[in-house]
Amino acid sequence: MPLPDRAALAQAVIAGDSGEARRLACEWAESGGDPLLAIEEGFAQGIRRVGELWEEGEYFLPELIQGAEAMKAALQTLEPRLGAARAAQQSRGTVVIGTVQGDLHDIGKSLVGTMLAAHGFEVHDLGSDVPVAAFVAEARRTRASIVAASALLTTTMVAQRDLVEALAAAGLERTPRVMVGGAPTTPAWAAEIGAHFAENAMRAVAVAKGLIA
Amino acid sequence: MSAFLDRLLRGPCLLLDGGLGSELIARGLPPGAPPDLWTLERPDELAAVHRAYVTAGSEAIHANTFGANGARLTRYGLEGRVADLNRTAVALARDSGARFVIADVGPTGEYLPPVGKGDPARWREHFTQQAALLAETGVDALHIETMTDVREALLALESLRAAAPALPVLVSLTFERKRRGFFSIMGDPVVSSLMRLAAAGAVAVGANCSLVSPDMRDLAREVLAGADGRDGAGAPGSAAASDAAVAYGAQGAASLRLVLQPNAGRPQATADGVHYAQTPQEFAEDLASLFPDPRIAALGGCCGTDPRFIVALRARMTERALARPAGAP
Repeated sequence: MPLPDRAALAQAVIAGDSGEARRLACEWAESGGDPLLAIEEGFAQGIRRVGELWEEGEYFLPELIQGAEAMKAALQTLEPRLGAARAAQQSRGTVVIGTVQGDLHDIGKSLVGTMLAAHGFEVHDLGSDVPVAAFVAEARRTRASIVAASALLTTTMVAQRDLVEALAAAGLERTPRVMVGGAPTTPAWAAEIGAHFAENAMRAVAVAKGLIA
Repeated sequence: MSAFLDRLLRGPCLLLDGGLGSELIARGLPPGAPPDLWTLERPDELAAVHRAYVTAGSEAIHANTFGANGARLTRYGLEGRVADLNRTAVALARDSGARFVIADVGPTGEYLPPVGKGDPARWREHFTQQAALLAETGVDALHIETMTDVREALLALESLRAAAPALPVLVSLTFERKRRGFFSIMGDPVVSSLMRLAAAGAVAVGANCSLVSPDMRDLAREVLAGADGRDGAGAPGSAAASDAAVAYGAQGAASLRLVLQPNAGRPQATADGVHYAQTPQEFAEDLASLFPDPRIAALGGCCGTDPRFIVALRARMTERALARPAGAP
């Protein structure tokens, strides 16, 4: 069976069609295709395009979510087959991610988690409304290299500063780097608190890779 | 017809208050805590904010009921206090001596699928419950604010009109400025969304939060032009805009009433907290530039604004009113 066209994989994500994404992922795997390739050059291209359309003001929340769901469906289908391929390629790094305490916004954060996972990071997503102590405990448990914290309210972003301080004081074997994001955060804010700024899910992958390198 | 409705429909433009949440935070409300908490725990602070706005010139103030619906209160374990919170907040607003008291009705905080798991039937129950409570408190109007989904706004409007038929309802959505124009985060375009709400019985429609005054001014111009069936540049409107104008009715263009409440500049987080960087004068200039269009029915401020913004706005509105030629509407 010939491999499905990589563009079709991307298109399923752009169209937000979870059923089609799952079907194509299956077909790819059944045809003996490299699952990593399906992600990197197929589905992830799709979610990157979704991000561009969001930034251009063409896609809004519903389209973003549908794209992310389609991406997840593809990943779920390919995940079992990734094990074998991944053994040959070590995890890029471990990331603990969450939205800070008092803040329930989680769409952007979940997208970042999805993208990082798609790019080979081991991601532990704590959800939203996460106290600093929970971030620290999970970072300790997973020996995370990166802790990523999202805040979408100006009133809750101060927790990102608290997080940086708590991690430094936690006596971890190796203090993880902190990535921050969310609408009110800025490069200046990140610099001020000793964290690294990622403007969106696409940039988060690049920043994370840089932090691990 | 109530004095409030008469004022809204016939003018002159009503001066609302500024941000309430941001003022409470400035007075020590912990970040992430619901403002409703202070209705119960620090009513004196809440009353002081209301009085400060009245002193600054606000004719109509919003009671601290934005989060007082069952959906939001459940998240903080306060759902048992929903009646108390609504009634006490309105009473506190009344005590300020404001000419008019508007009860604020905020969103559930949930999203419809695929974004979230919101259940419209449950939403209807929450809005109906809050409206029934508010109907008995003697408020002059209800204001559905900070809605990011026109469907939730329409559902809330319908629930409020059914449960509190004697009260005029205003509806404000929150928009972002994108390359192509103003849209909610759910993708609702500004002109057609506001027209649909007006057609569904909102006495005034508009926008609050997120946008700063120059963008809010541009939004208003776009809506006014859209109501006339023209796009912002004055050329014949798009099919969507004219469909909306038709839906709104033949009187659409003239009877549209807009309410606008921008934020005070962009929030900037610094070592000593969050600051909003815009002067009250700039804010007031931008909004006053919309005069003397009689369709601008109510103006106020949202996050980051404080009594100084109302003072500046009042001054500019008064100047503009005095500058109107005799006989103007």
